[in-house]
Amino acid sequence: MNRSLTILIASVAALAGLVWLTPSGRMRPGLPAAKTDAQGNTTAPPLVVFCAASNRAVMEAVRADYEAEFGVLVNVQYGPSQTLLANLEVSGAADLYLPADDSYLDLGRDKRLIVETIPVAEMHAVLAMAKDSTTKVASLADVLASDLKLVQANPEAAAIGKLTKDLLTEAGTWDAVRERTIAFKGTVNEVANDVQIGAADVGIVYDAVLTTYPKLIAVRVPELANLSAHIAIGVASSSEQPQRALHFMRYLSAPEKGLKRYEEFGFQTVAGDPWTDAPELTLYAGSMLRPAIERTLAEFQDREGVRVTTVFNGCGILVAQMKAGHVPDAYFACDSEFMQQVHDLFPAPTDVSQNELVILVPKGNPQQIKSLLDLSKEGLRVGIGHEKQCAMGWLTQKTLKEGGVQTEVMKNVTVQTPTGDMLVNQMRAGSLDAAVAYLSNAAGSAKELDAIRITNIPCSVATQPYAVAQSAKYPRLAERLQQRLKSAESQSQFESQGFVWKARPATAAVAPKE
Amino acid sequence: MSRMDSVPTTHSRLPRRRVSDAVFFGTMSLLGGSYVLLIVAMLGADAYYTTPGHIRDALLKPEIQYAIRLTLVSCSISAILSIWVATPLGYLLSRYRFPGRWLVDTLIDIPIVLPPLVLGLSLLILFHLRFGDFRLEDWLRKDVGFPVTYAVPGVILAQFSVACAFAVRTMRSTFDEIDPRAEAVARTLGCSRWQAFFYVAFPQAWRGIVTALTIAWARSLGEFGPILVFAGATRGQTEVLSTTVFLELSVGNLEASVAVSLLMVAMAVIVLVVLRALHAEPRS
Repeated sequence: MNRSLTILIASVAALAGLVWLTPSGRMRPGLPAAKTDAQGNTTAPPLVVFCAASNRAVMEAVRADYEAEFGVLVNVQYGPSQTLLANLEVSGAADLYLPADDSYLDLGRDKRLIVETIPVAEMHAVLAMAKDSTTKVASLADVLASDLKLVQANPEAAAIGKLTKDLLTEAGTWDAVRERTIAFKGTVNEVANDVQIGAADVGIVYDAVLTTYPKLIAVRVPELANLSAHIAIGVASSSEQPQRALHFMRYLSAPEKGLKRYEEFGFQTVAGDPWTDAPELTLYAGSMLRPAIERTLAEFQDREGVRVTTVFNGCGILVAQMKAGHVPDAYFACDSEFMQQVHDLFPAPTDVSQNELVILVPKGNPQQIKSLLDLSKEGLRVGIGHEKQCAMGWLTQKTLKEGGVQTEVMKNVTVQTPTGDMLVNQMRAGSLDAAVAYLSNAAGSAKELDAIRITNIPCSVATQPYAVAQSAKYPRLAERLQQRLKSAESQSQFESQGFVWKARPATAAVAPKE
Repeated sequence: MSRMDSVPTTHSRLPRRRVSDAVFFGTMSLLGGSYVLLIVAMLGADAYYTTPGHIRDALLKPEIQYAIRLTLVSCSISAILSIWVATPLGYLLSRYRFPGRWLVDTLIDIPIVLPPLVLGLSLLILFHLRFGDFRLEDWLRKDVGFPVTYAVPGVILAQFSVACAFAVRTMRSTFDEIDPRAEAVARTLGCSRWQAFFYVAFPQAWRGIVTALTIAWARSLGEFGPILVFAGATRGQTEVLSTTVFLELSVGNLEASVAVSLLMVAMAVIVLVVLRALHAEPRS
């Protein structure tokens, strides 16, 4: 019993001692103290990044910079991209996900695991060879003609393997290359490792990977010239601190911050927004859009930790301001006609919604107005939009003209306003008998007003496009606002205001967890 | 030919026996030694690939120092916990026939045969599966204040999950080899089952316990897949030496990964030698 007791006591004592010796799990050389509240508690939990192991070297550098600058603990978990994605799906324990190739982000987005994404860098496929190799290779055909041992990544397991197979299959050389490949490896780094050790003479890898292999050189060959991978980072939909996650994401993708590090590590970076702790966007939008986008804009600002300065006005006035030199970062027009007028400033618009012109009448329609022609009734007080100041007015004139009643109706027009809201106010005040405005203008006045649909005149429907300015200071941020405006939540906001949804179904920007 | 001619004399048999012995030992040594030679050759190749400078550099890195400390502590905790579980379980499986014994026996082998990544994934799913509003990890993290996933306890649990299976197998074999009659005699003399176990069986199982501890510790040291999936490989947090090798390898730092591998070998040798010394038969 004594021996048994001794063993038991010893094991308990050993366990207690080991638990006491267990590292705290917060080792960070050089990390400034995390921000604390008045009670001395750490106010913010660490950011968790799931990062492809191949990006470890550069991510460690960015992480160290970020932690030093902001005193925020960033925990980076490294692993194979697919494994990390599976972990994210099961645990939802990451704020950000940076895979080796953006195809994994697409997969994550399809599974509604990822919300916002930002591109970071590109890598191009090359042949890796030992620096002291005596064989000269200028093309993949040279490799096939030689007795060099070729290794490449498995098409089933690694993105570069799949891309290589697709590219060479299209070129008709895949079978020959496959025949000459002595091994297919699980990752691109394993391919480079094989060449470095000497187990293979040539490997197909990404150029950026070779930065950490000083004994290897990259040989660019024409057969692989069009093969590249895109690295991007995404915010996990399960993140409970999206604003901080997006802060880190903006830091990582800023040219003078994270992208600088990526360049140092041999990556070819993409254009990113300049670094600002809390950037500000300016958005010009037609007045009709205000009720449909206000909530989305507030949510966007809250989630991103940025400020969006909005200018709502008639599109004619907005266009005049832009032509006078006040160009915003983004423009959300009431109708594509007004976007067309500033096409040189906003070259790539995308349609988001549609809104139709209707005839607004007091509840019960006391004047029995059923068509545009009825607006020419003797003594009727009609209000319409100003054709120079807003898209609605311009569209009204076009519709009246198309309907062949322009002259007759204009005789009864007593007021022309720069926005549809003003017409609605005047209708509710009783100063108008009818008004031609957007259906969305009357969305909040269903108790006081009826809307009479204008039929058989296609041009009575306005299309609302959104575009990022060519001169935008933060184009990536403005693009994310676009994604947010095209999200499912935004769609329901638009539809509740009487708009018809035109944007592509919101798979590109899934609903974040709030 | 006389009978005497056909039977070799003792004098003439000696050289033949010597030849036979030489062939025996030569063949056995050649076959068995080839494996030993393979291990020595691999270690030699590792040592040739790296330099003392690489090992020194690795040892000076705070992240590696942290990984060494965490590895030593987590492997030891995992090994001790394995013994605590393996001793009673091995004893029950060895001594008693109970309903579902075959099932328990089979289940214990699952962590051994399961691919390591699957084991890690299973742990991850277990801790994050929702039962209504309850999720084990959320409860541990928020209510108990003891996060497991992607934290140090996750490392220990991942190591324990595999190491314990090996420890149970060892402890069962140990108790199988101990004659149960001594315990039966103790019981006829008035001992309870507890007393029979603690007075008679447990002291005799001492060597088996040390062996199981050794196996569990060594198994924990080499564990990689479940740790990567369940505990992650966060520098300065859940990074143990096996994940360090993976992380260094994944960025092409072969010298560092080999240096860390050799460190692991050195650690394993030291611990195994100490445990073997404890295990050694005392000289009479």
